[in-house]
Amino acid sequence: MANKGVKIGLTVVVLALALGGLLRATLREGTEYYKHVDEVLVNPAAWQGKNLQLHGYVVRDSILRKRDSLDYKFKVTNKVGDGVRVVSAHYTGIVPDTFSDDAEVVLKGKLEPDGFHVSPNGVMAKCPSKYEAKKVAAAPGV
Amino acid sequence: MASLGTFTLLAAFVVSAYAAAAAVTGARRGSRSLIDSAIGAFYFVAALLTVGTAVIIHAFVTDDYSIKYVQHYSDTVQPFIYKLTSYWGGLDGSIMFWVFLLAIFGSVAVHVNRERHRELMPYVVAIISVVQMFFLFLMVIHKNPFETYLLVAPTEGKGLNPLLQNAYMAIHPPSLYVGFVGMTIPFAFGLAALITGHLDDAWLRAVRRWTMVSWLFLSFGLTLGMIWAYEVLGWGGYWGWDPVENAGLLPWLTGTAFLHSVMVQERRGMLRVWNVTLVVVTFFLTIFGTFMTRSGVVQSVHAFGEDRQLAWLFTGFMLVILTVSFGYIVYRLPLLRSRHELDSWVSREAAFLVNNWVLLFAALFVLFATMFPTISEALTGERLTVGPPFFNKWMLPIGLILLFLTGVGPLLAWRKSTPTNLREQFLWATIVAVLTPVGLSLAGIPFWPPGLCFALCAFVGVTVVQEFVRGAAVRRQASGTDYLTAMVGLVARSKRRYGGYIVHLGIVLMFLGFTGQAFKIDEQMVLKPGQQAQVGHYVIRNDGVRVTDDGQKQMITGHLTVFRDGKEIDKAFPGKWLYRRHEQEPVSQVAIRRSVAEDLYIVMPGFELQDQSVSLQVVINPLVDWIWVGFGVLALGTMLALLPEQALGFATSKVPAPATIAMLVLVLLLMGGPVAAQHVESPAFRPVEPKTALERDLYKSLICMCGTCGRQLVGECTCGYAAEMRAEIGNLVKMGLTREQVLQYYIKKYGSQEPLAMPIDKGFNRLAWLFPYVIGAGGLLVVGIAAIRWSRRPAKGEPAPALPTPSAERVDTELEARLDDELRDLD
Repeated sequence: MANKGVKIGLTVVVLALALGGLLRATLREGTEYYKHVDEVLVNPAAWQGKNLQLHGYVVRDSILRKRDSLDYKFKVTNKVGDGVRVVSAHYTGIVPDTFSDDAEVVLKGKLEPDGFHVSPNGVMAKCPSKYEAKKVAAAPGV
Repeated sequence: MASLGTFTLLAAFVVSAYAAAAAVTGARRGSRSLIDSAIGAFYFVAALLTVGTAVIIHAFVTDDYSIKYVQHYSDTVQPFIYKLTSYWGGLDGSIMFWVFLLAIFGSVAVHVNRERHRELMPYVVAIISVVQMFFLFLMVIHKNPFETYLLVAPTEGKGLNPLLQNAYMAIHPPSLYVGFVGMTIPFAFGLAALITGHLDDAWLRAVRRWTMVSWLFLSFGLTLGMIWAYEVLGWGGYWGWDPVENAGLLPWLTGTAFLHSVMVQERRGMLRVWNVTLVVVTFFLTIFGTFMTRSGVVQSVHAFGEDRQLAWLFTGFMLVILTVSFGYIVYRLPLLRSRHELDSWVSREAAFLVNNWVLLFAALFVLFATMFPTISEALTGERLTVGPPFFNKWMLPIGLILLFLTGVGPLLAWRKSTPTNLREQFLWATIVAVLTPVGLSLAGIPFWPPGLCFALCAFVGVTVVQEFVRGAAVRRQASGTDYLTAMVGLVARSKRRYGGYIVHLGIVLMFLGFTGQAFKIDEQMVLKPGQQAQVGHYVIRNDGVRVTDDGQKQMITGHLTVFRDGKEIDKAFPGKWLYRRHEQEPVSQVAIRRSVAEDLYIVMPGFELQDQSVSLQVVINPLVDWIWVGFGVLALGTMLALLPEQALGFATSKVPAPATIAMLVLVLLLMGGPVAAQHVESPAFRPVEPKTALERDLYKSLICMCGTCGRQLVGECTCGYAAEMRAEIGNLVKMGLTREQVLQYYIKKYGSQEPLAMPIDKGFNRLAWLFPYVIGAGGLLVVGIAAIRWSRRPAKGEPAPALPTPSAERVDTELEARLDDELRDLD
């Protein structure tokens, strides 16, 4: 009996350690920090190169689009109408219907010295914390 | 009418309380009449809730906007069918719909089993009643769908979110709810068995079918959700691992585990603790899923405050569930002892055990990852999120292991498989599984992950086909008929087994569809008129943009021509619809060209009317339709397994099974009509910055009252209604009102303290907020005391019937092992 208990115990420990280790390793690369513009801009150097989900508002009249392409340049700020902390962003791709001046956005991507580089499909023009209040609670999808 | 509705809810609560108390008392005193009255009361609750449902549907159909809920989720122009479905379009109504379904299901379950499981029934009634009481309590004190406007009722409703106005959304939530609610019945039986100590396998037989039906509806609901996301939302995929989807997946995983491990208990008398635990966990996850998606816990810690009251009520209820269930499991451990030990790791029970572990691990993992932002913020203060890539990284291997077990499990022998046995069963499957990736790599398909997945699909496919062929061959020899007749007869004779195989086949097809994702092409482009672009082996040409109007909406349609190998094969018309009064919420119309091999999926997110250019997102989704077909096969297999014992032999002799499959596949393929895709967030959101400290304070003290945003603060909510409220607050402050006066204004306007983010915390108010809880707790206390007191005096001359104690049964193990082996040959 003791023998069996030891066996089971050891198996559980080994499995738990292995899974825990794997989880830790994958979490490190899989996670993204959810940050507001002002939080990041307090010390931009500390955030460079990290996976970020940047929350902010599009600065009015800052959206520029290269003719006949999907290259966008725009500025994001921490507060509507408050231009104190502003970061410029680059994005190539299709933007959501609701992406416009003053829109509340969450950008996925990385902060680089020349601005925020948004990863493909990384513009979310609605706050993720609001998605389910807007539809049937059991509805999947984004 | 609204007061009638509220009354039915209150009455249902009281009657449920009576049913619970009377059932427990009756069981403990051995009073048949008391139990009968409890069952009667239980049916009565279902009747009351039916009346309540009728009232709210009546209100929707007659456009009774004095009821807030109706006003929020309906309007006069809404088509009739969507007025009906608005019933479950919002939080309050969906809770009511939930209880309504539970009452109906519970009544059916009790009615069906009332003679067969006499000793369990009173407790089943009591447990379901208590669950009903919780949800009714929730509605009565916090989320009453019958709440009315006290002063002036609006004359027009706000309308159901256009995104939800389509056929999938009409049937997807109810289907999911049926699955969720159905899981309450096995829980009730399981807990009843624990309470009474009747832990033989009788309760399992009573709930196996229920679990299967609920599981089928859960699968149906999840699949519909995927189709909806795919065809309506227009982002090219069907599963985004968002918390709401995960909430539905969690009980599905544990439910699947239960459906497998239940067989081990039936056949070998093992895993009894495990089965009870799975039933409890599955039920718990349905409640937890509701909690997670309704209270706003998942998004972030501060979102917990979105509906703090609801969150705490749910937390309390979940704690009670866990404490009671696991308390009883521990208490009954001696009765739950296994009749056998595991003989060998090369046996079917071992395969099922591993399958269970993997499924449970998958559930735990999804739960962990879904809650991760909340957990990390609570622990470290940093909000870390994990996205779909993280889920995929873990769920891919888990899925592949499960797929492998799908093929292995059913072919292993119970107890122990011999080497000869293994060779016989797996020789061909293994050969095919090895050859598949080799062949595929010649075609340039990498081994990891698509090659491996295809190999496993082939492996499972071969094992299943082999079972059918071998079975049919044996039967043909025995009966001397042709192959087809023999196969139909085979399936008819042991539906559970072959139904299960068909389900597995469905799973294989779904995996085939999932694997297609590995070859997905997703490109975005801008095309001027006449210009063309290549995506995969398609070439797409822009023929211009047309604008049409049908009075209700303006429709902008991109006219595209699709070429393949230089030949024109089709035209595609992705669109964008602008509804009147909703011009700020354009609706994308996805153009999908389906085929067995791949879908061409085109969305037009942008356009320029001046120069007729379009922005396009073109996605090529290989094999995606096999997911839907796979679900059809899965449903067919489940229904086959569910059929009553004799029905099938007769029915299938008329309709051959392949015809049914073909029909189903056809139906599924035809289902994909064009549907509108829409975004709802108001882009008109222009947050007004507070001008004074008082305004800022008020933004934080009041919540958005639009009814759909949960309980977000006015200052944080992005919907249009909040913007109006902010403007209003600005005016009130300008008029010189103090904080108190503004708050009083809102209290008067909405007829209660609901708009306040926090109740005015003084004097009588504290009591008033406490009141419903005190009443609720008091009621429970009275019911409990009454139940205990009544049950202490058993009626004289009527001794409690002696119940056979299951633990006493001691069967010769040798004999049982032999029986098992013989039974295996039968089944």
